[in-house]
Amino acid sequence: MGNTPKKMKSVSQKQTREGYAFILPAFIYLLVVVGYPIVYNFVLSFKDLNVQNFKLGTSKFVGFQNYAEILTDPKFQLIFRNTIIFTVVCLVFQFSVGFLLAIFFSKKFTLAGPVRGLLLIGYMMPMSVTGLLGQNIFSNTGLVNDLLSKIGIAGPEWLVNTHTALIAVIIMNCWVGIPFNMLLLISGLTGISPEIYESSALDGATKFQQFRYMTLPLMKSSIAATLMLGFIYTFRAFDLMYIMTSGGPLNSTDVLGTYSYELSFTQFQFSKGSTVAIILFICLFIVGLFYLRLLMKEDEE
Amino acid sequence: MDTYNEKGMTKSQWLFHTHEGRIDLRNGILAVVIAVIGLFPIYWMLQLSFKSDQETFGKIITYFPHQFSVSPWLQNLQDKAFLSSLKNSFINGFLTMAITIILGVPAAYGMGRYKVKGRNAFLLTFLVTQMLPASLMLTPMYLIFNKLHLLGTYFAPPIAIASAAIPFAVITLRPYFKSVPVSLDEAARVDGCTAIRSFFSVMVPAVKTGIITIVVISFLNGWNDLVFSMTFNVKENMRPLTANIYKFKNKYGTKWNCIMAYGSILVIPVIIMFVFLQKYIVGGMTAGAVKE
Repeated sequence: MGNTPKKMKSVSQKQTREGYAFILPAFIYLLVVVGYPIVYNFVLSFKDLNVQNFKLGTSKFVGFQNYAEILTDPKFQLIFRNTIIFTVVCLVFQFSVGFLLAIFFSKKFTLAGPVRGLLLIGYMMPMSVTGLLGQNIFSNTGLVNDLLSKIGIAGPEWLVNTHTALIAVIIMNCWVGIPFNMLLLISGLTGISPEIYESSALDGATKFQQFRYMTLPLMKSSIAATLMLGFIYTFRAFDLMYIMTSGGPLNSTDVLGTYSYELSFTQFQFSKGSTVAIILFICLFIVGLFYLRLLMKEDEE
Repeated sequence: MDTYNEKGMTKSQWLFHTHEGRIDLRNGILAVVIAVIGLFPIYWMLQLSFKSDQETFGKIITYFPHQFSVSPWLQNLQDKAFLSSLKNSFINGFLTMAITIILGVPAAYGMGRYKVKGRNAFLLTFLVTQMLPASLMLTPMYLIFNKLHLLGTYFAPPIAIASAAIPFAVITLRPYFKSVPVSLDEAARVDGCTAIRSFFSVMVPAVKTGIITIVVISFLNGWNDLVFSMTFNVKENMRPLTANIYKFKNKYGTKWNCIMAYGSILVIPVIIMFVFLQKYIVGGMTAGAVKE
């Protein structure tokens, strides 16, 4: 019996070594491919690297100058506002419609599974094709204005007008976001046992009371996760605007993602682009922390 | 589900003559209406892609092709530049998938099966990486790949795309591996299997459905990618279809039938995978994001 703890220890050491052998390759890959660039990005945002000093290697540290210049730039302020409006409006619509669809498709009926799967195609197809499609649907001779003309409304030039371009982009993004929200919320809804509803129905609870006092509280963490994940994916948008509007007209659909790209790869002001990317990252990080806390808490349970 | 069989009815008798049947029918009709509205943009793209030039440029907007034409598809499929972009899209998808499977599946197993020290730190790393915006990695990666002479090779975009696909694979597959009884793994070890052999011959087959999800999603990550491919593949002949959209748009001008055929071809793999594999994918996709 005396050597049992020792034996157990060696078994657990072997276990640990095996575990690391499976995990570490992926972990090291991420450290090299993601960790290093993030650190590099931070460093870049405090330098003045651009196309002139890139080849010469004469870039130098400039402290918070990039941040000061960008944060006080009216163009950046417009773009930041666009990003917020885009994210908030998309979240409200895709979440509420997604929730309604989730409630409907979590019922058990013959066509529930297949139709639910089909709706996801919009979410899984390349965002750049969604952008292409959006360009066509919202063009002057497109689907939207044709439908509007049928009910006697003369539609605007959606993608040329600075007041309507962002609306068109938001509608296309919601088309992608709704099935995504539906998918996440369905998995939360199916976790609720039907017996709870049955017993409360016997007690005379109405459908609305069931929804308000049972579904919503039980779905709390699922709803929070969906909203936070939705925020993260929407706030960092790039592909849709890049293809559909290129951020135009007059930056009216530019968001942090497209602006950072434009600074780095159209104007070759690498440090400025990195600075915008860091600002974008900080916004995501704040919301991401709440999401992580929620997930880690659930993992412990 | 087949309650009508238990009662010895045909499906149509059940649908029209019982209470549950009528509810099923009503829900089914509503579901079809939702699908028609939700998928209308995809129908719109497909019907445009089968229109003749004449109808495309016509004054009246039609909702289905009056002169059915496959010419827009053929114009794309007979174009050498298109075919090479198509090939590049497949390469992008397969390389991303390969990197993700080789690194992600073992890591998911390690995270699900072993109680190693620092488990939470690993999990946190995988979760955080999945949330990062591409913009954050783009500039530094461009500069690093430039130094390593990787710009303009087939490897640069998949290396970057996999950095988001691997965490997704780990987070999605971990619960699958967790749900496999440890005794199954231990029994294989007793029979003289090494950890690696038991991983391949016992554990991987046990989580087959989860692996199918990862294979499909990681391929689509590569196939759908725009930003990494257009940034790291400076040469147009190395770019996949997504990254060459502007090039072809300039070529076709306002020939929307050709542009929409281009878009349709990009969507086809997504549709095929969903029609055949949706059973696996739909469940797998949410496993890691929200607790079931």
